[in-house]
Parts: sequence; structure tokens; C-alpha cells
Amino acid sequence: MMNITCPFCGKRNESEFIHGGPVGAVRPDPNAVSDEEWVEYLTVTPNPLGPVQEKWWHARGCGEWFSIWRDTRTHDIVEAPDGTT
Amino acid sequence: MSYDVTIERCGQKALFDLKGALDAVSQWAGDALPSLPIRPNSRTEEDGIELFHIGRDHWITRAPLAQEDAIEARLKPTDCPADISIVRVSDTMTFFCIVGPDAGQVMSIACPMDLHDSVFRTDAVSYTEVFGLKALVMRCQDGIEFAVEQSFADMVEDYLIRATA
Ligand SMILES: [Zn+2]
Repeated sequence: MMNITCPFCGKRNESEFIHGGPVGAVRPDPNAVSDEEWVEYLTVTPNPLGPVQEKWWHARGCGEWFSIWRDTRTHDIVEAPDGTT
Repeated sequence: MSYDVTIERCGQKALFDLKGALDAVSQWAGDALPSLPIRPNSRTEEDGIELFHIGRDHWITRAPLAQEDAIEARLKPTDCPADISIVRVSDTMTFFCIVGPDAGQVMSIACPMDLHDSVFRTDAVSYTEVFGLKALVMRCQDGIEFAVEQSFADMVEDYLIRATA
């Protein structure tokens, strides 16, 4: 069992939450990037070995959407890596 | 295992769902409601009208059913400004009261939250899970009260009977 900290409710059981997938890259201006970069933005999902930023929905709770960083090697919720938010 | 509890399926109450920024909701509600609780997952009560702060910019108010029409007339849900939302939800939720010495034991079967009174205080209210369903949970006299979507009420009553048999 994992506890996830909701920004409104605080620490709660993971069963109250629904995973919303990884946070994708910021949408580039389609006119300012190459076709390859645009296709990469549209189709490539972040899947690092290490910290990944994920969206979670406190569905059986307050209804808040938020993001956390989770380390895919340990399943631990971790601090955002330096230089990220 | 049997438990020393009494389970009551409560009658309908007047319920209104309020969404919007604190100032905007407060201003529109005027003196129709007590002041809105600010702390997340807390509640206030004045003259039988309760207010639950159950999400960001989100409250529920509860009052005796006899006051439903009067509260609606004062909150004027259909006339409220576009930046807030007021919806009468009285018939969407069914409340259960679990009271008695073993109320905490029974709730620990159903709910993943720590409901000990040192953690879950008298003025606490929160959405969480009861038997895996989204439920609004709070303390009541000698126990715990919770609400589920009314369509699940018969099933939840059955679960409670089985859990406490
Ligand atoms: Zn929450």
C-alpha cells in the first residue's frame, strides 16, 4: 500500500486515487518544430528508469488533480529533481 | 464476530452543493448560510445549518429537510452568477449513522482513513471510501456518520449488516 499526499486533504491511501498517466512534455508550437519533433511530442510517453512526474486524481476524495514525482525503480514518491517543478 | 453498534439509515436532509471562490460564494449566500469553513475538510454549524468544506472551492451545506425550500429561495441557484455554482442535491446522498462502542471497529472494516478522534477531530469531514465507494465521512454523537450516493444505499446497508453480523 502506498500513501499519496493530496494538496487539499494531505496523506491518504492510494485506493482513493486514480492514476492519470505521466505528465507529458509542454506542447510546442507546431509551426516552430520539425515534423519529427512534433510526432515525438504527440506519440512518445515519458517512461524513464527513475523519477517520472505523474498526474493523479483524488477521485474518491476531494476531486483534486495534481502531480507527483515517483521513482519507477523503487515505487517511492520522491522530491522533484533539481530544475523541475 | 459481532459488534456493539447501532446502524441507522438516516432520513433525507436538505443538501446544496456550492462551488466557487470563497469570496464569491460568501457574497452570494449572504446571511442565508453561516460563514463558510476555510480549513480543508472541516465543518461548521449554526442554527442547524451545517457547512462542509470538502474540496478546493467546494462546500456542501446540510440542513433539516423542512428548511429546503426556504434555503433554496434564499440561495437562488438558478440566478447565481456564472463564476459560482449552487445545486440542490438533497436526493442524491443517503446518510448512515454508526453509533456505539464499536463504531470505530466497524468503520475500520469499511474505510481506509484513520478515524480515531485524535486524528479525525469533531469538526472533521471528508470524502474518502466506504466499502470502496466514494463516501462523505464525519463524526456524529457517539460514532461516525457517512453518506454514499443514494443508488448505493441498499447495497451499503447490506454490507453493514453483513460486516456486523
Ligand atoms: Zn484530496
